[in-house]
Amino acid sequence: MKEAELLVIGAGPGGLAAAVEAARAGAKVTLLDENPQPGGQIYRQLPAGFRLTDPKALGRDFPRGQKLLAEFAQVRERVEYLDEALIWGVFQDSEVAFQRGQNSHSLRYRKLIVSVGAYERPVPFPGWTLPGVLTAGGAQRLVKIQRVLPGEKILLAGTGPLLLALANQIVDAGGQVAAIVEAGRIENWWRLARGAWGQWPLVADAWHYYRGIRQARIPLLRGHIITAARGDGQVAEAVVAEADRQWRPRPGTARIFRVDTVCLGYGFVPSVELTRLAQCDHRYDPQRGGWIPVRNEAMETSVPGVYAAGDCTGVAGSLVAVEEGRIAGIGAAQSLGYLSAAEAHPRLEACRRRRAGLLRLRQVLDEISMPRPGLYELAQDDTIVCRCEEITLGEIKKALREGPTDMNEIKRMTRMGMGACQGRMCAAALQEIMAREKGVPPAELGFLNPRPPVKPVPLPVLAGHQALE
Amino acid sequence: MINRRVEKGVARGREFEIEVDGEKLRAHEGETIAAVMLAAGRRTFRQTGLRQQARGYYCGIGLCHECMMVVNGVPNTRTCQTLATPGCRVETQEGPGKLEVAF
Ligand SMILES: Cc1cc2nc3c(=O)[nH]c(=O)nc-3n(C[C@H](O)[C@H](O)[C@H](O)COP(=O)(O)OP(=O)(O)OC[C@H]3O[C@@H](n4cnc5c(N)ncnc54)[C@H](O)[C@@H]3O)c2cc1C
Ligand code: FES
Repeated sequence: MKEAELLVIGAGPGGLAAAVEAARAGAKVTLLDENPQPGGQIYRQLPAGFRLTDPKALGRDFPRGQKLLAEFAQVRERVEYLDEALIWGVFQDSEVAFQRGQNSHSLRYRKLIVSVGAYERPVPFPGWTLPGVLTAGGAQRLVKIQRVLPGEKILLAGTGPLLLALANQIVDAGGQVAAIVEAGRIENWWRLARGAWGQWPLVADAWHYYRGIRQARIPLLRGHIITAARGDGQVAEAVVAEADRQWRPRPGTARIFRVDTVCLGYGFVPSVELTRLAQCDHRYDPQRGGWIPVRNEAMETSVPGVYAAGDCTGVAGSLVAVEEGRIAGIGAAQSLGYLSAAEAHPRLEACRRRRAGLLRLRQVLDEISMPRPGLYELAQDDTIVCRCEEITLGEIKKALREGPTDMNEIKRMTRMGMGACQGRMCAAALQEIMAREKGVPPAELGFLNPRPPVKPVPLPVLAGHQALE
Repeated sequence: MINRRVEKGVARGREFEIEVDGEKLRAHEGETIAAVMLAAGRRTFRQTGLRQQARGYYCGIGLCHECMMVVNGVPNTRTCQTLATPGCRVETQEGPGKLEVAF
């Protein structure tokens, strides 16, 4: 079976930076991503067929993405880059399996860097399954890359800077934003200012986004939360209430927005299926998005030779992902003998310094946006929690009375997490709901065991699986 | 109705038609089927099997499976990940469809 010297999974900011650094040092890099183009979620490029006539239309991240892609272009010839390659499993003996087109292959690696990103945190509340309710990231994807508005009157709800960015993109594209509903509050401006000190590009982004919102006269409701979406077959209105510090709606403060679209952004959940299958240790950190792989300073996981970088290790944004990718790439190259410690050291130090600065700001933002208990109390007994298997909160509570003690047990009892999304759309909420109902810390409930294939692969393709020679 | 296709900043690819539940919809090279649906103001992509609920585009990155439709006869096709092609025939999916994928 073919063995890759350094296998990098994911060609987003983290994976690209890792590939660039390792290839520069001389390592033989194999880079796989399920998307047709490199760039990941944030630096995603326009589809073939579309032509860019004004780069400003793609937003403020676009030039940063172009810079990283240009770095990658310089080493491109030395990197074995397989696009549209979906990694569907990681197995014993340093082996991965991937699908490309109508074929499925396995491949071995000497060193592995996992940088597969995150996905938006799903939060069940009444009406969240109605057509017209979508994730903020999904909306952004639509507006930025497909250049289609998700609706006519749009409410943004959730927490964090992504909502501000999205509001600007929608307005810039000619759409109408009814309001931004931000659950968090800035309790300590001084702390925020200290965290932001020195992070001037990000401060400039924030300034630009606030100005855009003010100019478009979009109400920004801090300390508010969406409690329901209503409509017959699709969204017609959203109910918004003032929220207390625990994000619980204050009685008597509800108001109704007549909108046809609701975009939800409650932060991200790291994708840990592959690091789980690689047997890496994980820990539960609600502030970083939930379960994350344990790593040392070199971005190496508890499994020697397996590194993890970027949002799949705890959500911290694209700029941190780049620095972590670089650190992992340099570290892997060093351990393969392409760099001496003396050569690696100054490069690592520069990345570590930049990363630490970014994480200081991140820490303050995360404190504002970390989900509070009220968030998972919005669902009512008849609210769907598991979209695939159509399981309601009431059904979960009923199953809990039979005394399951961990996540896999309740999965077997209710079928939650057995559907097509493999638990990605329900596990984070289930973990918190079950912990609350049982009165135990979420981490004690374990996690849903991922099984290969981690994403759907057509059966005929699986049937033809072959090792890559 | 506003024009949901944003014309600013990009020039779209070649225009063609696709058929959704018998209705002809305008599409462009590079657009996903989901984008074509939403541009036309169509929000219901599938109907659930158990409770007959309408569902539509939710995550946009191929994970939630709410955008599954029957495309050229193939059920469970995630339309947010599938490009529209000239003349393709798309139907609203009722229930789970015939599962042809392993997960
Ligand atoms: C929909 C969406 C929109 C976002 N928009 C913004 C934004 O506007 N601004 C902002 O600051 N942040 C945004 N974020 C967050 C931002 O994308 C991340 O902070 C940043 O991209 C992290 O980089 P990364 O390299 O860690 O992960 P990603 O950019 O997510 O890259 C991961 C890559 O891994 C690939 N991959 C994943 N699983 C597999 C697999 N099994 N096999 C093969 N390849 C795989 C993916 O295709 C992807 O290219 C968004 C996130 C999402 C999910
Ligand atoms: S919208 Fe989630 S998979 Fe397509």
